[in-house]
Amino acid sequence: MSLANRMALASPRVRAVCVEANEFPQLSTQFRVRGVPHMVVNRSASFVGALPEGQFVSAVLERAGVIEEDGGGDTGGDAGA
Amino acid sequence: MSLIPDTVRRELEARFRDRLAGPVHLSLYTRPGSARLILPAGLGCATCDETRQMAELIQQSAPENVTLEVVDVSRDPARAEADGVDEVPTIRIGSASDAARIAFQGLPVGTEFPALIDAVERTSRGEHGLSQESLAGLARLKEPAEVLVFATPT
Repeated sequence: MSLANRMALASPRVRAVCVEANEFPQLSTQFRVRGVPHMVVNRSASFVGALPEGQFVSAVLERAGVIEEDGGGDTGGDAGA
Repeated sequence: MSLIPDTVRRELEARFRDRLAGPVHLSLYTRPGSARLILPAGLGCATCDETRQMAELIQQSAPENVTLEVVDVSRDPARAEADGVDEVPTIRIGSASDAARIAFQGLPVGTEFPALIDAVERTSRGEHGLSQESLAGLARLKEPAEVLVFATPT
């Protein structure tokens, strides 16, 4: 969650919201949260797991449609919302 | 009963003395007094009182740098809607010069507490600490991007 917050500090276009998954089960169900950390970008696409900075930023940008996905890895997915 | 031990309070005061440099504004969106009521889903707030203690702990640990505003969403739902807050409790973190773009939804305990403190400190110092490569990537964003990070206390 710290990296998402740092992205929000760095860019006026980014908003980061840390959600306590147990406290909001409806949201967790809506976005198919099965493990944490579970990131959902623009409530439409998700990725899971603690990633290094470069991979985390790329994962967000891919799911925001800014850069093309690299096609690999197991972090992609429909957020389910 | 206080949620936060005195030792934690003292440690936080000492830490903030070293690490805060500029003003930080916390906005707490809450629904006071609903913790013990049995209400339909979405109307009660089991952790609003504890989250207020947490927000007050941060403000009281550095009153010269941190301000706290409490928004009762049951009295001012329009404010919550205008600020994009649709669940309580929520703490938004902003600086004097920048709109709040960091929020914590739910009681920030366990692994979320250090992240909350880190967000306060970085906001105070205006220090994101990201690499030039990451900043170049973020510069390509032309539309707003929201990142929800689901976490648990353990």
